[in-house]
Amino acid sequence: MPEGRSRRFLPGDPRVEEPYRLTPQLALRVGILGAVALAIFAVLFLRLWALQVLSANKYRAEANNNRVRTLLIEAPRGPILDRYGRVLVGNVPGTRVELWPADLPKSWPAQRAELRQLSTVTGVALSDILKKMRDAAGDPLTPIVVQYGIHPDQIDYIAEHQTQFPGVQLAESYLRTYPNQALAAHILGYVGPITEQEYEADRKLGYQPTDNIGQAGVESEYDQYLRGRDGSAQMTVDARGRPTSSIVPTTLQRPGNTLRLTIDIDVQRAAEKALKYGISLAHQNGEWAADGGAIVAMDPRDGSIIALASNPTYKPSVYVSRDPKKLAPLQEAAVAAKDNYPAIDRAISVGYPPGSTWKPVTALAAMETRILQPYSTLLCSPTFTVPGQTGKGETFTNWDPYVNQWIDLPTALAESCDTYFYQLGYKFYLLPPSEGHPLQNWASRFGFGATSGLDLQGEYGGLVPTPEWRRTHFAGKPYTAIDRVWKPGYSVQLAIGQGDLLVTPLQMARFYSVIANGGQLVTPHIAEDVEQPTGDPSAPRILERFGAQPPTPTGVDPSALKIVQQGLFEGTHSSIGTSSGVFGSFPVAIAGKTGTAQKLFKLPGYPNAVEFNQSWWCGYGPFDKPTIVVCAVIENGGHGGVAAAPAALKVFEAYFHKKGILSTHISD
Amino acid sequence: MTIEAVDTRARGLRPRRETDTVGVVGFARRIDWLLLGAVVAIVAYGLRAIDGITKHNVGGSLAGRQALYAGVGAVLLVVATLIDPAFYRRVKSVIYGGTLGVMALVLVASAATHGSHRWINLGFFQFQPSEFGKVFFTLFIAGFLADRAKRIDDASVPLAAVALGFVPIVLVFAEPDVGTALVYSAALLAVLFTIGVRWLHLGVIAAVGLLGVLAVLWWLPAAGVNVLKPYQAQRLTGFTHPSSDPRGATYNVEQSIIAVGDGGLRGRGVGGSTQVKLDYLPANDTDFAFSSLAEERGFVGAAFLLLLYLFVVWRGLKIVTGAADLYSAAVAGGLVFAFLFQIYVNVGMAIGLAPITGIPLPLVSVGGSSMITNLLAVGILQSIRVRGGRRR
Repeated sequence: MPEGRSRRFLPGDPRVEEPYRLTPQLALRVGILGAVALAIFAVLFLRLWALQVLSANKYRAEANNNRVRTLLIEAPRGPILDRYGRVLVGNVPGTRVELWPADLPKSWPAQRAELRQLSTVTGVALSDILKKMRDAAGDPLTPIVVQYGIHPDQIDYIAEHQTQFPGVQLAESYLRTYPNQALAAHILGYVGPITEQEYEADRKLGYQPTDNIGQAGVESEYDQYLRGRDGSAQMTVDARGRPTSSIVPTTLQRPGNTLRLTIDIDVQRAAEKALKYGISLAHQNGEWAADGGAIVAMDPRDGSIIALASNPTYKPSVYVSRDPKKLAPLQEAAVAAKDNYPAIDRAISVGYPPGSTWKPVTALAAMETRILQPYSTLLCSPTFTVPGQTGKGETFTNWDPYVNQWIDLPTALAESCDTYFYQLGYKFYLLPPSEGHPLQNWASRFGFGATSGLDLQGEYGGLVPTPEWRRTHFAGKPYTAIDRVWKPGYSVQLAIGQGDLLVTPLQMARFYSVIANGGQLVTPHIAEDVEQPTGDPSAPRILERFGAQPPTPTGVDPSALKIVQQGLFEGTHSSIGTSSGVFGSFPVAIAGKTGTAQKLFKLPGYPNAVEFNQSWWCGYGPFDKPTIVVCAVIENGGHGGVAAAPAALKVFEAYFHKKGILSTHISD
Repeated sequence: MTIEAVDTRARGLRPRRETDTVGVVGFARRIDWLLLGAVVAIVAYGLRAIDGITKHNVGGSLAGRQALYAGVGAVLLVVATLIDPAFYRRVKSVIYGGTLGVMALVLVASAATHGSHRWINLGFFQFQPSEFGKVFFTLFIAGFLADRAKRIDDASVPLAAVALGFVPIVLVFAEPDVGTALVYSAALLAVLFTIGVRWLHLGVIAAVGLLGVLAVLWWLPAAGVNVLKPYQAQRLTGFTHPSSDPRGATYNVEQSIIAVGDGGLRGRGVGGSTQVKLDYLPANDTDFAFSSLAEERGFVGAAFLLLLYLFVVWRGLKIVTGAADLYSAAVAGGLVFAFLFQIYVNVGMAIGLAPITGIPLPLVSVGGSSMITNLLAVGILQSIRVRGGRRR
């Protein structure tokens, strides 16, 4: 009975029971409800099947990631030793502050408050922490290292207020320590966080984006040996980051290997002190602008570096504490300029005109080219003018304006007669083009104009000017044709180590090694070997020996060398020698050569560059059987005999005292 | 079968009930033992699951207390089975008024727990009126409509029912308990549907409801009017993109899905369910009880529970078809659909198919009010079944 119709003639009383039977309409509607129920359950089943059966592995992994934390167990970096096994760089245990971003409070204000607090305690800027968090956003399983080597007070504070720092964790770490303070800073380099470029370049070697790697010096050069392999451990944590298991090591850490250098700490220390001494001598002598220098001490037999000093210097430990104020001289251009660039290793990275220390090169090249008979004489006059030229710029003076005598080569080297070598320079200029440029060729045979292959980064190759170099270097605007012409004056100046010529102290030491060892060009090196510590410190297990590479014969005539050696010996021993006053009474026979090179220097506060004398001394000893070559340069230090030679003497003193040849220090 | 009362003057003429004559044995025979068996199975399985979920808790397993609630619920089930549904119809105004009154009381006086006002603390029991309200609401709306069944095609009747139903829905919504408000709405819609409201009217109501949801969730916030608190809106819409904010609003869903997936085919067992044990899964014994069960017992266990639910729904729908009168049919339809709706929303929430609304999993989730209410509803269904027609 359709109810709608009955209503019209017989309105129903709502209180009356409506008799009921299952109408087809209700049956349809119940059927629809049933279909809806079936559809809903079908959807639930399908979804459940997809999650639990088809994707179970994926979610199993996610569930495991939720609770398993991988902890880094830092491996100590290998120590760096001197040639006698004394520690140059070691490690001290420290504490690092780590942050697990996943365990931070979920709400941003609470999170910010905690990070701000952490920033206050650790002294790491909030923006730096946030940047590290952003950088590591893709990896929830590795903690962020907020700070290495925090102070015990900071450790205590964080440990006592652990509840205020959810997600912050203290972990064992190792810090580089430098028992000798600033000693050998330029050689050692420092360790710092890997940069993005380094990470991209060295990814294959297994570096992690959070690693610390050697950033300069041997720390960088031998990083792969020094760095250990970090271990890892796992523990499970609950949703609030509380450990629910003990720490289970998964991979053991492997400490880094020991690097042994060829450096002798005593000689190195003496060299660094000698630089200060040389600078103070220059100051006493009126050379007020003297403010830096470098000393290279090398074994001429195999090229091993005994000392490599550069002044001014710095303490590598500033890279451990990372105090911005102390780092500024090393990183900020303005502060660095004020402090005369302490980060620069002047021994290998700076080119100086060599001045008279270069004269042996000229002498050897001239003898080899047969334009010089060593024992026939040339006039050592106060001035030399290029024949046929009258211009003021073509007249060159001798450092000693009162001398006027005929001398042979040893004497010319001993008293460092400039005009003698000017004549040789002019003779080189007059050579027919078919002869090439023998002076420059011999210079490059002696290792000039190219890096030496020393196992340190940042070596400068220097410059040996040739007519070809002049043509290409001065090509185009603003230069004119006259700039591209090789004038006789250039050859004349090159003969005494002036002009455009630039050499590093290391190159100079290498050349004097050629003189000392009888004509072999050695490759300087600073790393002796890589060792694995054994129980017995005197018998370490050597993993890899770097040592000396076979020298390259320069082909120089031994008899010509003999004459140069004689000249250098006279330079330190004869009455006319330029450094006889310094070395004449030294019990070990030292041979060497002073140099006083003019270089334009622009000092802070002065509008124009001023020409300053670079004080040089290079030499070796013992004369008959040389075991050490020393090259010293004092920037703006005046005459070579004034600053550089006494500085070099200090190095010889330390070296031979060490060797037991001297019983006491000669001077102090 | 029964006398058709066609005359208004034939007052008091009531269909003779079978129960008047069948006695205890017949009564017992007419109980839907299959339904009861399925419900007992769900409760038992649920208790076992709750025991596994909560045995690692600091306070120990909650299964004992939950069993106690189930016992209370069983008593109510028996009582409800004995009560003639016609009784509810007679006292529907009292039911309605009482329900509204208690709900208002909740809003005004109850202590704040979890930032919402859902409970009345009776000391031994956190009484949650909105749970019981589900059943009373259905009883009342069905009664109201059944009284006006003849005029059901008149738009004013369903409209009046919707208006009456809207009051408790708004009260529950204001507690705030969006999920339960949705269950009420589902029950209202199911009663309207079962009782025979015209398709057109149903369509209009559904469309208006849909527009309302859209307005509350998207349009009004866009216009600057926030009906929901931001966290509520995020929960309701977040399930459509669960990975969007793993640390924030969708964290729960993310962890729940991981828990379910982690269960795999056979489950990780009570000891190996790390999502549950290590507290990654929030509310693992209440709102996300299904996820916990799925992690511990796997697809096998979860599907077993779902099949039991499906069986209950099927038996329930059968009771609708066999009801003695339209009122009973509508009550049964409303209860069954509300049951189905809760299952869908709770399980769907756990596996990322439905919004996070905090609806308990019927007969499983820890919570006395929900357990007792659902058993009460089963009792009412049994009562309808017992007094129903002889058809099958």
